[in-house]
Amino acid sequence: MMYSWLGAGFLATLVMTSMARGAGELGLTRMDLPFLLGTTVTENRRKAKAIGYVFHFLLGVAFAALYAAFFVLIGRSGWWIGALLGIVHALFTGTVLINVLLPIVHPRIGTPETAANETALLEPPGFLMLNYGRNTFFVALATHVAYGTIIGLVVRV
Amino acid sequence: MRKDGYAPIEDYALIGDGRTAALVARDGSIDWLCLPNLDSPSVFAALLDQQRGGCFELQPSIPFKSSRRYLPDTNVLETTFETDRGVVRLTDAMTLPDEHLAPAREIVRLVEGVSGQVPIRWRCAPRFDYGAVAPRMGSRAGVPVATSSREAIALCHWNVGAVSLEAAAISGAFESRAGDRSTFALASASSEPLVMPSRAAAEGRLAKTAAFWRQWTGAREYRGDWMAAVHRSALALKLLIFAPSGASAAAPTTSLPEEIGGERNWDYRCCWIRDSNFVIYALLELGCYDEAKALFWWFMQATALTEPELHVLYRLDGGIGLAEHDIALSGYRDSRPVRVGNGALEQMQLDVYGDLFETAWLYSEGHHSLDRDTGIVLGRIADYVCDIWRQPDSGIWEVRNGPFHFTHSKVMCWAALDRAVRLAERGEMPDRHAARWRSEAAAIERFVEERCWSDELGSYTRTAGDERVDASLLMLPLVGYGDVRGAKINGTIDAVSRKLRRGDLVYRYLADDGVGGREGCFLNCSFWLVGALARAGRVGEATTLMHSLVGRANDVGLYAEEVDPVDGTFLGNFPQALVHLALIDAAVAIDKASRS
Repeated sequence: MMYSWLGAGFLATLVMTSMARGAGELGLTRMDLPFLLGTTVTENRRKAKAIGYVFHFLLGVAFAALYAAFFVLIGRSGWWIGALLGIVHALFTGTVLINVLLPIVHPRIGTPETAANETALLEPPGFLMLNYGRNTFFVALATHVAYGTIIGLVVRV
Repeated sequence: MRKDGYAPIEDYALIGDGRTAALVARDGSIDWLCLPNLDSPSVFAALLDQQRGGCFELQPSIPFKSSRRYLPDTNVLETTFETDRGVVRLTDAMTLPDEHLAPAREIVRLVEGVSGQVPIRWRCAPRFDYGAVAPRMGSRAGVPVATSSREAIALCHWNVGAVSLEAAAISGAFESRAGDRSTFALASASSEPLVMPSRAAAEGRLAKTAAFWRQWTGAREYRGDWMAAVHRSALALKLLIFAPSGASAAAPTTSLPEEIGGERNWDYRCCWIRDSNFVIYALLELGCYDEAKALFWWFMQATALTEPELHVLYRLDGGIGLAEHDIALSGYRDSRPVRVGNGALEQMQLDVYGDLFETAWLYSEGHHSLDRDTGIVLGRIADYVCDIWRQPDSGIWEVRNGPFHFTHSKVMCWAALDRAVRLAERGEMPDRHAARWRSEAAAIERFVEERCWSDELGSYTRTAGDERVDASLLMLPLVGYGDVRGAKINGTIDAVSRKLRRGDLVYRYLADDGVGGREGCFLNCSFWLVGALARAGRVGEATTLMHSLVGRANDVGLYAEEVDPVDGTFLGNFPQALVHLALIDAAVAIDKASRS
């Protein structure tokens, strides 16, 4: 069980990150989560992305543990339960995690309250991260569903 | 003096907080305010419709004369009303947040009796959603509140006499004696509960806001001959930089007409790629390094969705949804339509590629190296410029009867590839395609020299094969095209002066552009002429013209987009970033030319 959620978390984050990167290359979104995470600690874009990928994988594995704990709690697992959790995860990410909580702790991201006496380097994501492109939430939804599906498939209760 | 209820455009002054801004008339009325952001729908829009727009009037109820100024080195406005019965002073500012719980947006209006006993009347009539929605009026703990859907404003007040709550307005009257202080705090909220400040908190924020602006202005590095005008321009530009994202708005207004009663009315509350090149230049010259970095970061984020193709303009939040539509306001002095959004979004304007590369080059020159990913993106865009420069476009002036082969657009494509080569040589962009960029830049130069030069005029021309000039040609020396002190550039400056100049004013062109009506003289063109003259070494001519243009500012140092060459009144959106940017460039160019 322990190794399955660790491995599932890593694999699911790998797939999720690749899908998100692909969406960016296709011009569907300007969302770049590793970049957003990495710029919490550095202004150097190159370093930020490298550090951000590490953060993202750590978070991916941590969320996999939460998914696994939920499977244990309800006494069953499966790809579709994982996919449903992915939808909830995407909604939480778009409405609260990235939209509200990240700007509060991020030293370089703007918020709707940022005024002329502050200088933000990064634009705020907005509700459902729509400031990063109209398709951003759909990309987030698809990547999180893929993430949840993989966790649900690999982690067995 | 108001005409049909409308104040002249030059009678307005700007206050703001980096998120939104308001226009205050010389007679004390706030006639324009959008909430919560600069590009949100208006709450006060009497500027565009005296009947339906909404405003916040505050003035003596007896005949008065008013004079005003910004408190030195700040964006805090002070209007002094002189009457037969005494003098009162009105201080207006949009406060900046401090460490205490503050309203989401707050305008503080402080009335101080200076002498005598002056009767004051005031009336706050908000109309949400560009005048379309009358507010629901109410009261919370004795504070008048106006609400509509998710928007709400509260008018906190102290020592302003009896307050009357009407069906769609809050009003009152009081007498201001020498030494009296009366205060209003207009607090707003959007999708959250209102924060109603205490008097001490509101007045404290007003003082801290003035202190912040003084500190910010004190840190500016320009100390040349035009310091007052440059610093006022910098302060105005700072209000047009949308702090949550770092983007720079072209102006805080929509649809102030280019011709009274005409249809040339556009929404400027968005960020033009073109302007950002000037903004970065100005910010770096003024020592605003943080703001320059924020704008460049915004720039690369905003263009990520569409690159290698660039849009002409982007929303302040970086989005691209800016569909143009008309709204049901009667327009400034019946100048219709009133537009929201901007249709130029759909045009092809080749010069933006030059603007992007010039921006990157200036950013890099300003001691910020480009990261690898940015370099790769710029490389893709440079390749794209090689593919498209031969196409006609709508040009810098966004003509609606094109496309044409504009000389300025071709030169800006040359500038894009020239800067790409230089950045590659410096190792800040991949140099795999540098040879192609170099050869295409040379091809553009051949095109311009062979097809965009007129021996008869002794000048570069507006478009290929044309025999007319265009004020955008004054930008050629700015981007370093040709010998800036050579015969061709000097000939072009002379031809533009000969054909388009009227006194100290310059038309942008005299040609059909697919839009009905006529327009005034674009002030940025006059400042570009100053810059071109200075760069060509004609410092005396540049200085004389600069003196005249600085005198064209309104009483608080602001400029609209255009001036009517007949009567000198302002036309177009106000205040306009490009004019203030051109002023800064012209001042710096004269100082540099004088030193050299």
